[in-house]
Amino acid sequence: MNKILLPTVMLAVLATADTELDDLNIQMTKMQQQIDILNNTQEAKTTTPPSNNSTTSSLPVEESTEHSFDHYADSFKQSSFMPDISLIVDMSYVNRNKKDEELQHLEVPGIAHSLIGSHSHGDTGHATYNANNGFNLNYAELAMQSSVDQLFDLNAVFHFTEYSVEIEEAYLTTNSLPSGFRVRGGKFLSEFGRHNNQHHHVWSFTDAPLVYHAFLGDHGINEKGVQFQWLAPTSNYLMFGVELLQGENESMYGTSAIVASGDEEVQAASSPSQPNLIVAYAKASIDIEDTTILGGISYATGESRIDHLSDEEGPHAFSAESSLYGVDLSLKHYFDSYRYLTWQSEWLYRDMDGDKSTYATAANDSFNTTALEKKQAGYYAQLVYAHDRNWKVGLRYDDIYKNEINAVDNEDDLKRYSIMAEYLPSEFSRIRLQYNLNKALYDEAGARQDIRSLILQVNLAIGAHAAHSF
Amino acid sequence: MRILLLLTLLTFSLMAKIDIAVSYPYIGALVEAVGQDRVNVSVLAKGNWDPHFVVPRPSLISKVRNADALIINGAQLEIGWVPPLIKRAGNRKLSQGAFLDLSTKIRLIDGAHDVSRSGGDVHPDGNPHFHLDPHNIPLLASAIASFLSKLDAEGKGYYDSNLQTFDIAWKKDLEKWDEQMADAKGREVVQYHTVFNYFLQAYGIDSIGTIEPLPGVAPSSRHSMHLIDMMKKEKPCCILHDVYHPTKTAEFIAKKSGIRLVIVPHDIGALNDIESLEALFTYLVEAATDD
Repeated sequence: MNKILLPTVMLAVLATADTELDDLNIQMTKMQQQIDILNNTQEAKTTTPPSNNSTTSSLPVEESTEHSFDHYADSFKQSSFMPDISLIVDMSYVNRNKKDEELQHLEVPGIAHSLIGSHSHGDTGHATYNANNGFNLNYAELAMQSSVDQLFDLNAVFHFTEYSVEIEEAYLTTNSLPSGFRVRGGKFLSEFGRHNNQHHHVWSFTDAPLVYHAFLGDHGINEKGVQFQWLAPTSNYLMFGVELLQGENESMYGTSAIVASGDEEVQAASSPSQPNLIVAYAKASIDIEDTTILGGISYATGESRIDHLSDEEGPHAFSAESSLYGVDLSLKHYFDSYRYLTWQSEWLYRDMDGDKSTYATAANDSFNTTALEKKQAGYYAQLVYAHDRNWKVGLRYDDIYKNEINAVDNEDDLKRYSIMAEYLPSEFSRIRLQYNLNKALYDEAGARQDIRSLILQVNLAIGAHAAHSF
Repeated sequence: MRILLLLTLLTFSLMAKIDIAVSYPYIGALVEAVGQDRVNVSVLAKGNWDPHFVVPRPSLISKVRNADALIINGAQLEIGWVPPLIKRAGNRKLSQGAFLDLSTKIRLIDGAHDVSRSGGDVHPDGNPHFHLDPHNIPLLASAIASFLSKLDAEGKGYYDSNLQTFDIAWKKDLEKWDEQMADAKGREVVQYHTVFNYFLQAYGIDSIGTIEPLPGVAPSSRHSMHLIDMMKKEKPCCILHDVYHPTKTAEFIAKKSGIRLVIVPHDIGALNDIESLEALFTYLVEAATDD
């Protein structure tokens, strides 16, 4: 009985639907096939095929339950418009050869203040990933994405730390501009270089490359602004992009006027014209057999307003015209579907030319200003081998080799060595053990302090998370 | 002058082929069979790769960007690699109808009602490897013909006649395979992943176990021991193993259980001599009927 009923119902449904003839044909063949399957599975060797011309037959009436009625809530349900939502949680256990309070006072001389550990700027406290000895909850990141309409996609990433939340990204992306153009607007990670626009959970190591962290801080170039990209109509990948960004990066740029504490009138530097930062890049890729090579050159330029006037020791500020140059090269070779070897390397060079301001008097009501120019460069190179879908191992070498301040060489033997192994029970979880030897940090007396860190990191993802690009 | 322009345009339009990007080689073969001289096909994934884990290399972005249309398998098989390509490629045509998801034309089997990732990396819509039922191939070819006719209305007659030729040839093959496979009915097999379910179900072969304990989860020794015990009892005919997963565990299980291990292709190009859909199914039929 079922055998006849099913095709009949389907045909009747189809007959009422306003389907194109072609689609109907497909459906017919499909049904015929379903009938065959049904026949096969029931091992019924009946030779009479179910009748195909039953289009006039009425739908069987659903067995009505006693109190069945429609509810308006069902008619206005919108759950099918739910965006893709995912939650990524990252935690770690850290063991270092120095106590937390010692780490906070270490710096990369002439380049960055406290690199490891918590620090505060303005009203917000910041902690880098794996800031403290012992247990760390690095973040819980809520990501959402969906298409808005026929023109736009919307992405947002909410970066929750234990006691605060930041909108790390919230941007629209056009999805239907002609000729390979794409526009993005809002707050997003710049596509400067290779590392900058990768999210923490896809990094091959639990911390950022030294040169990125030292030059651009914890979050890299993560700014409000607008991005224009064009993908060339070539057979090999060739992409050009320009970004106009607010330029508030606390480590290298900045948009606030530098004023003496307590007196708005006494200025060391006024705020720059905003938006303050322009980023441009070109990227190209070729495949040679089972090896993919991706390379790029990047440039960022804007004004710096770096305010350390509220520091207890040696309050100062730096205003400058600053340019950042980047060259990146990545290689990925596949042995099979799961086994691969990747090489990722980037070189960064920055030139910051401006003035350093310090208080002239103890009353903090006037400034002494002296010229200050920094020319600094460094690179990193990392090699990761994925043995299968469950195991990866990697090595990374960081080096800041140029640290010229007012044409005088400063400490420029700033290196870090990292090694890691990770186990991925599935696509959605990652357990990583990483060891760092950091030889780039100096204490206040100017003596180098080797920092050894052992970090056990666990990263988990749930929900609908978009696939990652190359 | 105007006539000259029209003539140039006409010749140009006659010469211009439509560029179709497809995710997997089997789709490429179908598009070539139906589209022939009116299409250029570029295949994104290689046939010997795991279809779930294709690396979204930048060169694939360019292929998607430069295509007039994209045809995918669908049912979430490409979820891990095609979305970033589309997003990056910014090809307006794809959002304006030049996109075909073949899974919408097929009734999927193995649909999961209760989806949780504690059950492994499951496909919530059902098993996406539907092209491995040879009876589905004409449905797919017909869907592709309608799609091409929609893109290129002038070529409708051409596509329809190519489709007819293809269908006739396929029907002949299908009858042959159906006949060969008639004896295989009721046989039992073990697979690595449920990739061959459509083929097996079409011919009444039972898949009694998988080497991976859960979809997308690597074999564990506990599961393998359990499987060996079960296989010793059930005596399945063979282990059907895809080409992309490491065969180490399967070799061990085959040795311990005394059950034959057969490496079988899942797509064109999976093995060197599998150059067409006919070759693919001929191989599968031989593997399933061989004793």
